[in-house]
Amino acid sequence: MSTHTPPRYPFAWTPPMQMPEALKDVHESSAMEVTLPSGDTATLVTRYQDVRALFADKRLSRNIARPDCARISKDNDLFMDPHIDPDPPKHTQVRSLVTKAFTARRIESLRPYVQEVADELLDEMAAGPRPAELNEAFAFPLPIKVICKLLGVPAEDRDQFRGYVDGFLAVTKLPPEEIGRARQNLWKYLGDLIEDKRKHPADDLISEFIRVRDEDDNRMNEHELHFWCQGLLIAGYVTTASQIGTGTAVLLHRPDLVREIQADWSLVPSTVEELLRTQIMGSSVGTMRYAIEDIPLSDGTVIKKGTSVLLSEEGANCDPRVFDKPFELDIRRQENHHMTFGAGIHYCVGAALARMELQIATESLLRRFPDIHLAKPAESLPRALGGFMEGFTEIPVDW
Amino acid sequence: MRVVANSATCAVSSLCVYRLPGVFDQDEEGLVLVLDEHPDTGLHEEVRRAVRACPTNSIRVVENG
Ligand code: SF4
Repeated sequence: MSTHTPPRYPFAWTPPMQMPEALKDVHESSAMEVTLPSGDTATLVTRYQDVRALFADKRLSRNIARPDCARISKDNDLFMDPHIDPDPPKHTQVRSLVTKAFTARRIESLRPYVQEVADELLDEMAAGPRPAELNEAFAFPLPIKVICKLLGVPAEDRDQFRGYVDGFLAVTKLPPEEIGRARQNLWKYLGDLIEDKRKHPADDLISEFIRVRDEDDNRMNEHELHFWCQGLLIAGYVTTASQIGTGTAVLLHRPDLVREIQADWSLVPSTVEELLRTQIMGSSVGTMRYAIEDIPLSDGTVIKKGTSVLLSEEGANCDPRVFDKPFELDIRRQENHHMTFGAGIHYCVGAALARMELQIATESLLRRFPDIHLAKPAESLPRALGGFMEGFTEIPVDW
Repeated sequence: MRVVANSATCAVSSLCVYRLPGVFDQDEEGLVLVLDEHPDTGLHEEVRRAVRACPTNSIRVVENG
C-alpha cells in the first residue's frame, strides 16, 4: 500500500499575486493525482493539448452524480444534481435555448447599457468615501445589474440573492447546514420569481425559458427550468465580478502596465485576456468529469474507465509548450487561447458577455481614475479561500 | 483560400465573429455562418488565427480551395 498522499487541490495561491507555485511542476506528465477538500482523490489533467482535447471528448461524462465519482466537498454537492443530465443530447437541447441570448449581436446591443452602468457606478465611487472598496463599489454591482437585466431579475433583490449565492458557493468556509439553507433560499427565491414571471412575462431570458417550457414539456421540465435559471444567475455574475475585482488588483499591482495601457487603449482586450489566463478565480473544481471508457493521453498515460477527472484550466494556461514565459503577465501576448472558458461543446456560453464587461470595466476605471492605486500593500489583501471562487475579498483603492 | 464552417459543432463562442465580422456571422441561434468564403489575401493570417482560436474546431480553411 502506498503511503503517499497526492497533493491538495485547489493549489494554494502564491502571494501576493502570482499563479500558484505548484503549477510550475504539473507538466512533467499529462496527469497527476490530487486530493480534494472532501478527501477524495481525482486525476488532474494538466497539459494544454490534453485539456483542450478532453473538453470535447465524449468518453468523459459531465454527469457526475454517480456514487463512485469523486466529490469536491462533502458538504456541498454543487454540479451534482441527479435530475439534470448535462451530457448530449439533453444538454444540446437546453444549450440551444440559451445561446440565442448570447450571440455577438445580442451582446453588442447590451454594450451601451454596460457602459452606462459602469459610468454611474464610477460617479458614485468618486463621490463616496476614500479609499473605496472596489468589489462593493464596482466589481460586483456591474455584472449583477447586467445579468439581472438579461434574465429579468429585479436588481433591487440583489442583496438578498447575493447572500444566498455566497452560501451556495461555499466549500469549507461555512458549516453544511448553512450551505443547505442558502441553497433552499435561493431555490425558493427563484421559484417565486418564476411564478411571478409566468403571470407577467416580459422581454427577458427567464420569460423566454418559461414560454418554451410551458409549450413543450420535453424540451425542459420544471426542475430543469429552475436549475438553469439558477445556473445562469450564479455563473453570470460571481465569475465576472471576481475577475473584475481581482484582475484589477493584479493590474494595479503593476503601475508600469497601467501606464502602458493608459498610453494605448487598444491594449485593453489583450490585457483582459492575459488576466483571464493567469487569474482563474475558481481553479478547475467545476470541471469534474467521469471517464466512461479508457482514454489515452498525449504522454501515453491511460485514464481508466471509472476515473474521476478534473481538467486543469490553469495547468493548460501555463503550459510552456503553448505559452512563452507562461508565468509572466504579458499584456501584449498574441494568440492567447487560454482555457479559462473551457473548450468544446461546454464552452462558457457567457464568455463574450464577460469579455465585453471586463473590457468596459477595465478601460472605464483607468480612464476615470488615472492615478488609481491599491490603498494597501498587495500582500495584505485577503483572498477568499474555502469557496468555489477564490478572488480577493477586499480591494481598497484610492486615486 | 476557402473558408468552411460546421455549424453542427459550433458552441456559439462568438470568437470568430468578433475577430473577423466580415468573414463570419451567426444565425438566429448563434451558430456560425460564413459570409465570405474567399476572403482577401490580406486577411488570410487573421483567418488562420480564428481557426486556431475556435474552441470547437468548427471552422477550417482549404488553402487551395
Ligand atoms: S469560434 Fe467556433 S465555436 Fe465560436 S462561434 Fe465561431 S465557429 Fe462557433
